[in-house]
Amino acid sequence: MESVQIQQKEKRHPMENLLRMDRMPHIWCTGCGIGNAVSAFADALAILDFDLDKVCVVSGIGCTGRVAGYIKVDSFHTTHGRAIPYATGIKLGNPDLKVIVISGDGDLVSIGGNHFVHAARRNIDLTVILVNNFIYAMTGGQVAPTTPIPAYTTTSPFGNFETPSNVPQLAEAAGAVYVARWTALHMRRLTYSIVDACKKPGFSVVEVISPCAMYYSRINKLGDGLDMMRFYYDHSMIKHGEPTDHLEIDYQKEIIVGKFVDRERPTFSESMKKWLEG
Amino acid sequence: MKANPSDVFTGTYYIDGDVAAAYGALAAGCKFLGGYPITPSTEAAEAFARKAPYVGAQFIQMEDELGSIASVLGASWAGKKSMTITSGPGYSLMMENIGLGAAMETPFVIINIQRSGPSTGVPTSTGQADIMQSRWGANGDYEIIALAPDSPQESFDFTIKAFNLAERYRVPVMFMADECVGHMTEKVVVPDASEIEIEPRRFYKGKKEEYIPYKRDKDLVSPIVKAGDGYHLYVTGLTHDERGYPILDNLSPFNIDQAKVRNKKSTNQYLVDKIRKNKDKIIELQENQLDDAEVVIVSYGITSRVSYRALEQARKEGIKAGMLRLITVWPFPDDRITELAKKVKGFVVPEINYGQIVFEVDRCSHGEANTILVPHGGASVHKPDDILGAIKKIMADDKKYDNIVEYTTSLEKQVFKGCLAEKIRKRQR
Amino acid sequence: MDKIIEVFKKTIESSKIEQQKLCMVTDITYDPEVVNYLGIDLFHTSRGRAIPFATGMKLANPGLKLVVFIGDLATLGGNHFVHAGRRNMDISVICVNHYQYRKIAGNDAPGSFPRISLSPYASFDEPLNIPHLARSSGAVYVARWTLLHENDLSLSMIEALGKTGFSVIDVISNEPERLDFYFKNSEIRNGEDTVNVKIEPDEKICLGKFIDRERSTYVDAYNEQLTRVLGDKFIKID
Repeated sequence: MESVQIQQKEKRHPMENLLRMDRMPHIWCTGCGIGNAVSAFADALAILDFDLDKVCVVSGIGCTGRVAGYIKVDSFHTTHGRAIPYATGIKLGNPDLKVIVISGDGDLVSIGGNHFVHAARRNIDLTVILVNNFIYAMTGGQVAPTTPIPAYTTTSPFGNFETPSNVPQLAEAAGAVYVARWTALHMRRLTYSIVDACKKPGFSVVEVISPCAMYYSRINKLGDGLDMMRFYYDHSMIKHGEPTDHLEIDYQKEIIVGKFVDRERPTFSESMKKWLEG
Repeated sequence: MKANPSDVFTGTYYIDGDVAAAYGALAAGCKFLGGYPITPSTEAAEAFARKAPYVGAQFIQMEDELGSIASVLGASWAGKKSMTITSGPGYSLMMENIGLGAAMETPFVIINIQRSGPSTGVPTSTGQADIMQSRWGANGDYEIIALAPDSPQESFDFTIKAFNLAERYRVPVMFMADECVGHMTEKVVVPDASEIEIEPRRFYKGKKEEYIPYKRDKDLVSPIVKAGDGYHLYVTGLTHDERGYPILDNLSPFNIDQAKVRNKKSTNQYLVDKIRKNKDKIIELQENQLDDAEVVIVSYGITSRVSYRALEQARKEGIKAGMLRLITVWPFPDDRITELAKKVKGFVVPEINYGQIVFEVDRCSHGEANTILVPHGGASVHKPDDILGAIKKIMADDKKYDNIVEYTTSLEKQVFKGCLAEKIRKRQR
Repeated sequence: MDKIIEVFKKTIESSKIEQQKLCMVTDITYDPEVVNYLGIDLFHTSRGRAIPFATGMKLANPGLKLVVFIGDLATLGGNHFVHAGRRNMDISVICVNHYQYRKIAGNDAPGSFPRISLSPYASFDEPLNIPHLARSSGAVYVARWTLLHENDLSLSMIEALGKTGFSVIDVISNEPERLDFYFKNSEIRNGEDTVNVKIEPDEKICLGKFIDRERSTYVDAYNEQLTRVLGDKFIKID
């Protein structure tokens, strides 16, 4: 009997040292893809073998913004849209830290759009994991700048008619050095993408297409989380290096995933050092 | 004039305060809403979005609060009644442009469904801690009007009142509801259009050549025009004179001699005077059993419903209590409070914050009456027993207080005890 | 800075644009006397928020023709620029771009130009490639000129005002000495791909009209979608 009890005590999930287990269960809904992004990120951290005391996670407001409360590193839950300037401040204040921003499409592209563009332009050494569920889920399902035409949301009750933003195109035009997109289904490739993005110096963006079972797929009658995963299985195509203008996501059509941009540019700190010396 | 029948959705509904405010705005003739989703006010934007295409109104969800408030100012200058809907953190973001709207004398309405806590706080619970910010939030000197409803029916009625006041005085009007009223579902009666009085926009009706933008009538308000009508408008946030042109001198525009010499007096004084001089017409109060009262409860918003219960209980126990409810929180009724302070023993001010309006009450009583604050951090409303306890304390004390006294309530933080996550955790252990 | 207003004035006077419906929204301080007689309405708003102000005006009265003058697109107004382009709001944006070279190879190197006192280190920042950002956001008309190319700039303004949709003109403006230098070190390449028009210190500045295309605007898309869904019950905005 004793040996069985000891065995049970040693059974721990390998990710438990990276997550705040005292806050489990988390608040995300059944069928949400944010959990996938967090798992991929935790796996990536384990592969990278960084010193966990030197890793910071910064997130904004929204469903994805709650990630900061569940990862067991120095994490910051900041105001809406301002995750990137906070992260810029942390990185410039202590350049030895590895700073990762995990936030949603509404937080980073809508209110935080300005900060996104300028951090990419300056090439600040950050890694951004943008979880895109095409909707503002935390506040109840409003239209987001990434919502496709003609999806229904609570603030576009007759269907959305605004052209959606194309996140990889915006990142590339602003000057990001690494841009990739995967869905919540491609767990292994997402993990390795995050590993590459974290290793690369400069502004890297990894977009994760995620289902939102409570709002986006329910309001538009697309099924639940598993149905969306099946949709990703049938409709996603891997095309590395595709030009970013072709990466629009139309409503219930093909989603192109892969690594699109991988280039070199001097980072902000390197330019500053060169300017001060020369 | 009466409301337009096609704008009014007459009927009896069972809706919450947010939706009632949206219906009220449409009934008042609002044709533009530039908003951004923020809990707990999103239901209002959603209701407006559903009804807008049927009445020729436009809803746009802007990319952030800064864009929302700027688009509201633009729509107002293009001739339409406009408004935005927000809550605490968004309200802080909008402050710069609220100051711009006050300086340009643009009429618009902001609905602030207040939530608890500084910064992100607890988004789904109530608070009343933005009251001082609504008055002093933006930089510089200006005056605004603020209203506080206490039920969904009042949300409907007061939104119409807010638009009327905005058009009448060309001033930003703050509709300071709280999350409790916003998310409370009650019966709301939307009357027939012929029973709703709305104030149309006061357009200038004289000759084009003689138009002077900020020339004031006897109420110190100037008639407005809209862009695209050939008036050669120049509208700016810089301190300007009667023609709207900025005073680009080195000297302060308050230097009256200089101003007299050049005949260009600045409008800054008028921004403040037009509300202060018309206070009697703007302030609205609800008085309850004040004739023989010895202690007065001063409350606003949802707290006034709780105070009413405490008042009933106090009267049953033989205490001569009365209630003064502030329908317009700003401008503050200084004269009424000073008048009451001479007759009563003290004021009890319950608020869902750690003290904001109580300072105004204390200031206006000029030391003649005691003041007790019944504070509450947020996330729920007061209990009537606490207000009753404060009333009894004032009646029992004979001495004059040196300062505002705080009455400690018996409320614990009920928010997180007994919620679902706690129960699951207990079951797991 | 007032030179651009002079060019604008001449353009308005000589063209057939209906002056009454033209509104100018800006976040730079201009002397009102300068445009007063033109018959246009001028709105001076808070810094960075001229574009959403113009959005609100356009949606409240779609008959207005709007010109937005912004100076500091690079810092405050970037978000509003990107989203107005995405929605294709029918406004024309003129960016007054005060780009200053850090150091330029060649004999006329303006190394003697005084440094900006507030931000001595800011000159190693990469400048924003405004035409490329405008194109990626979805603008329908993108051009760039310097202030000394008055005729080309005038023609561009007329084309931009006549075009329905989000039009952007990037105007390189500066003190007269530096403007002369930019004028000599620039070349006109119409139709160039906007990826290549970044201002590099050692190369010539690329000028010209880069994009001229068609896209449906926000108001058109709104009207079309709602008429399709609601039919007769939909009331358009006048």
